[in-house]
Amino acid sequence: MSRNGLQVNKFAIALCLAALIAVDANAQSPAPKLPKKAQTRVEAPSPPSSKDFPEPAMIGRGVSEKALAVDANVNIKLPCISQAKVSINGWERNEIRVFIKNGSKIGFRVHEKDPVNGKPVWVLITSLADDKAKSPISECLSGERIEIDVPMKASLTITGRETETRIDSVKKVSLKNLGGNVALRNISGGIMAATFEGDVAVENSGGQISLETSTGNIIAYEVSPGQIGDTFKAKTNNGAITLQKVDHRQIEANSVSGSVIFNGKFLPGGLYNFKTSNGSIKLAIPSDSSCRLIASYGFGTFNSAFPLKISMENVSQGGKSLVADMGAGDATVNVTTSSGSIAIGKQP
Amino acid sequence: MNDKCFEIGAMQAFLDGETSPDLSFRITGHVAVCEKCAVALADAEEESSIVFSALDREFNSLVPTQRLWGSITEAIANDKDQISFWDRVHGGLSALFNNPSLAVAASVLVVIGIVAGIWSLNPTSTNNVDGSLAVNTKSSQSQNSSRTESVPVMVTGGQDMLSPVESPLKVTESNHSPAKLQKMVANANLRSIDERPQAQYLDMKTPVARPVVEENLPGEESYVRTIADLKQNVDGQKDMTLNPSSRIAYERDMAVVDDAITKMKDVVRKNPKNQSAKQVLYSSYQNKIDLLNSVVEREELIVSLR
Repeated sequence: MSRNGLQVNKFAIALCLAALIAVDANAQSPAPKLPKKAQTRVEAPSPPSSKDFPEPAMIGRGVSEKALAVDANVNIKLPCISQAKVSINGWERNEIRVFIKNGSKIGFRVHEKDPVNGKPVWVLITSLADDKAKSPISECLSGERIEIDVPMKASLTITGRETETRIDSVKKVSLKNLGGNVALRNISGGIMAATFEGDVAVENSGGQISLETSTGNIIAYEVSPGQIGDTFKAKTNNGAITLQKVDHRQIEANSVSGSVIFNGKFLPGGLYNFKTSNGSIKLAIPSDSSCRLIASYGFGTFNSAFPLKISMENVSQGGKSLVADMGAGDATVNVTTSSGSIAIGKQP
Repeated sequence: MNDKCFEIGAMQAFLDGETSPDLSFRITGHVAVCEKCAVALADAEEESSIVFSALDREFNSLVPTQRLWGSITEAIANDKDQISFWDRVHGGLSALFNNPSLAVAASVLVVIGIVAGIWSLNPTSTNNVDGSLAVNTKSSQSQNSSRTESVPVMVTGGQDMLSPVESPLKVTESNHSPAKLQKMVANANLRSIDERPQAQYLDMKTPVARPVVEENLPGEESYVRTIADLKQNVDGQKDMTLNPSSRIAYERDMAVVDDAITKMKDVVRKNPKNQSAKQVLYSSYQNKIDLLNSVVEREELIVSLR
């Protein structure tokens, strides 16, 4: 090869090397900014202010999502939900994730942290400060759909205006709504649910339970006490109360103009109060039930499919009453109605 | 729909709570037997609830229709009241002088009035007796005899004309000692003139109606008092707090509870020893308290969410 040819080759190699270096250098320069990825985990944010949390990532139009790492036994409060379909689920992760479709921006406020691990133990979920100025209802979350994932041991306190609420697999729930149905499942540590216009349904839950609605039905299925002394209360002004497999020893069910239906067994030492003003009371109990029955039925009627040992009976119009024993009379059952009917039947 | 069916406007007014009690009963009675009207009412109720929920914020800040009409009529009445007497006189006179025949008649009346006034100033025709009585005793007696029993007894200074004339406190003869008399006078419960019985229309035909005092059962009074307090609160705010469907449900429940209370009260009055009836009565009272309380709690929740 000639000297000139070698020089040309060297030049070509040098040119290639230069090009490679240029490409490599270009590859190391900052890439164009992609849309911020949603922050899915925030470890122990130190001052508890909304500034610490980044703006919610907008996945699509009107959709916001935000997450916060918390203690497993966190107490979560939603002070106001103005209008939404709310779905809250417990999950295994120690993290709160909030997703809102077509609604307000999400803000977390940490009120208290665990002194040992520094993770939030008391968190408020509200709308962001920017939205407060726009909305006359400050701090109220709203949207077409609100989905919240929380640790399974979390306790929830929710106040809302018009919300359809479904809560599944958390420890404890305290809920107050102006209107909308409430459905609760797998709540192990107690429930206090009140809505003024809507149905309340509880399934497979435990603890101290109080269910209340002004206009709506109450349904409880497979409910048990968490510890000795836990009571079950259900109250509606204008609707039916249906209790099936409720294992509390103290049950109180009261409806003004609706019926009360109990399908379960009376436990020894239990105290059961069923009241209605104008509706009927139907008790479906096992054949081997043991209870003392105290029935006051004013202008109503009384029917029993069981043989009763009647110890006192008054059949005067308006003041009808009956005291009778079934079996050994271990539980006490008070049944009161003004003008409704009382029927005691055997479980199928 | 048959002939007896109500207009949708009447049903809407019923849902809004603007119908009279009589019409409300007729509508509910008809809806109970007419399936088409029941469906129509349910549709209207559903539409109302949708509209109310959509416009909830506006409704919370605006005044309900009925209240608005009330305030409008009140404002009109106030405007009428604020027209001065002289404006009214001026209006009347201007209307009078626009019509010549009325003007002549009015001037004749004015002349007659002046003559009558001069005549009445003549001292021989006066009936006043040193200003103590409004009418001459003789003439008043003759007038009283000709009038019916419902004529008021004219009294000067709050004193009954038929009672003996009150003389200054002066004791002419007594068995008591002067010191004791003085003590008795000092301790006497002398009523002021204002406290004395005022003249009233005597109507011997209609007996005086006295309020019937109902005796409460032991423990009933506390229920009644609590209900009265709550009702006072609720009546003022239920129009604002409850939407139409809730209002209907509330009134229906309240009627059910009131009916139960009335029935059980009768039973307990007839047989006060009936413990069962008492229990149902107290239970009904508690239901009423719970009903009223639910409205109060609802109001509190609305306020807390604002």
